[in-house]
Amino acid sequence: MADIPVFSVLESTLRLSTPLLLAALGGLYSERSGVINMALEGIMLAGAFTAAAVTVKTGSPWIGLIAAILAGVAVAGIHAFCCIKCRADQVVVGTAINILMLGVPALLSGAMFESTGSTPSVDQSQQLPNLPILIAFAAVPVTHYILYKTSFGLRLRAVGETPQAADTAGVNVLFMRYAGVLLSGVLAALAGLYLSIGQGSLYTRNMTSGRGYIALAALIFGNWVPTRVLLACLLFGFADAVQIRLQGTTLGGATIPTQFIQMVPYVVTMFVLAGFVGKAHPPQALGMPYMKEQR
Amino acid sequence: MLYPFAFFRYEFGDSLILSASVLNPQSSVLSPEWSSVLSPQSSVLSPMKTKLLALLLVCLTFAGMACQSGPKADESGKIKVGIVFDIGGKDDKSFNAAANEGVKRAKKDLPIVLRDVEPGEPTSLEPSMRAFAERGYDLIIGVGFAQAPIMEQVAKDYPNLKFAIIDGVIELPNVASLVFREHEGCFLVGMIAARTSKTGKVGFVGGMDIPLIRKFAKGYEEGAHYIDPKIEVKENFVGYTDAAWNNPGKGKELAKAQIDAGADVVFQAAGNSGLGVFDAAQDTGKLAIGCDSNQNWVKPGRVLTSMVKRVDTAVYSIVKETVERKFSGGIHSYGLQNDGIAYALDSYNEKLIPKTILDEVETARTKIIKGEIKVTDAMAK
Repeated sequence: MADIPVFSVLESTLRLSTPLLLAALGGLYSERSGVINMALEGIMLAGAFTAAAVTVKTGSPWIGLIAAILAGVAVAGIHAFCCIKCRADQVVVGTAINILMLGVPALLSGAMFESTGSTPSVDQSQQLPNLPILIAFAAVPVTHYILYKTSFGLRLRAVGETPQAADTAGVNVLFMRYAGVLLSGVLAALAGLYLSIGQGSLYTRNMTSGRGYIALAALIFGNWVPTRVLLACLLFGFADAVQIRLQGTTLGGATIPTQFIQMVPYVVTMFVLAGFVGKAHPPQALGMPYMKEQR
Repeated sequence: MLYPFAFFRYEFGDSLILSASVLNPQSSVLSPEWSSVLSPQSSVLSPMKTKLLALLLVCLTFAGMACQSGPKADESGKIKVGIVFDIGGKDDKSFNAAANEGVKRAKKDLPIVLRDVEPGEPTSLEPSMRAFAERGYDLIIGVGFAQAPIMEQVAKDYPNLKFAIIDGVIELPNVASLVFREHEGCFLVGMIAARTSKTGKVGFVGGMDIPLIRKFAKGYEEGAHYIDPKIEVKENFVGYTDAAWNNPGKGKELAKAQIDAGADVVFQAAGNSGLGVFDAAQDTGKLAIGCDSNQNWVKPGRVLTSMVKRVDTAVYSIVKETVERKFSGGIHSYGLQNDGIAYALDSYNEKLIPKTILDEVETARTKIIKGEIKVTDAMAK
């Protein structure tokens, strides 16, 4: 255990937290407006695929970045339309989008690159390894400011807590909710972009491998508060980074089984959730579609 | 409201792509009647409407399936081959890609009808396999150990059809078990890694922590220790679920951690996650070793060699035997002696491995074939 290099663990923590943080902050905008965003995983996949595919085709990661954001907004738009306009069950729509996004990138990738499994690699010079990290960590104070210091943030929180009251006060509830979900699309797409052309160099199928759900857990764990969400994501990232370096460690001559080491992040989560966070306070209207003049 | 959704099989080139599609039974504007049926606010669904909705779903599902059923005119009389890929999908540039290569070559050379399925998740493996069996496919190939228990059931239910499983053993007369002695090849790439390493430390990144991948690790370790008993072999696994094959981000982190700790050659046996190991090698200027397919081309100059598992040859042979009516069940073993296992040497890596190392490796190869070097098979009981 003594030979774990501190600096490389910290670096690794930053890299592992970034996609979680971006997705969780995205989820925060959506959920603070009252819409459960189970679709984070699907939006990340859409962003990851679009970023890689467009960067390969155009040779410019910046065009890839814009395209990824547009794709994220489009997928979040589907979620928003179904949940807000059609008042569908938000969990079901989110899950459907996640399943859909397993298939759509494969189909498009097959048509564009004759390979349903992955896109070609983008050149090292066309990767954006640091930008998403900067955006992710800058987004925490920015989100805090928007949420608590601007009228937009006040309205966003109001429609997530008591939409009837907000509506009475003249806030356009549906517009605020669309804004919240679409913003989550932007951030979750950036999380996907980081996985495909930031940290890595290509898109492979289902490459998020559950990070969208872990981001949701971080959001709940962080009690829907930006600074706490940051701490939650850093904790998850740190536990994962340490876990990676603990694999193959011996304790008293016997190697600790990998399975036990890989349990570390989840055990940490359980203990923290059980002992330190206290009661979760979700936005009161979370998951409830809003209909005018209905109680 | 709740959109019903159903699984469809789309025909796409030669592939049946299983994907979920969301069906919207009405246009974006909801008629009052429909919204009362579908909106969560309406607490009671009338039984009649529920039945109608169910019927609609069933009709649409069958309509989707009907689109691609029924043989085409030129397909009659040909041997029908169905292949079910592993979770990694046929374009993983590795294990599944090799199997795909084999069936594609067979399709070119032999009079067969070929269909494939890429199940997105473990639960769709069995329906995919049964779909082929129900349509009377002559040969059904399952790619990967995870399909063995499923195939055992399906093959029992369809004793007249022929099956082939890669990386698994099923003791039924109508199943050919295609197994590889990967440990022999891993021994050789372990030797190359140890000879190339300047730090005396080499790494191994496995995908899912399963006995098969432990077998890779053991062979690699023995090969490295054959060169230098003091060399340190760092072993890591991406995870212990299917998701471990599709997590390049984690693969890269693991490789980086090993490189930080001094490793300068990292062997990956991790499917798509292994692509992250190549990224790590490129970022840090170290070397990686590919797996299953020849992956030397993926990052030219950064891939030292690849432990090639000729899944393509195995698949091609079994299709050929089926076409020639020579199919035989039981274990078909591939190793160094029949070139079912090899290390890759081509224009991408010929400058990376000096001749002296090659000679040494070739000598060891001959000795393994003759049985003079015994490599431990970590899966053997």
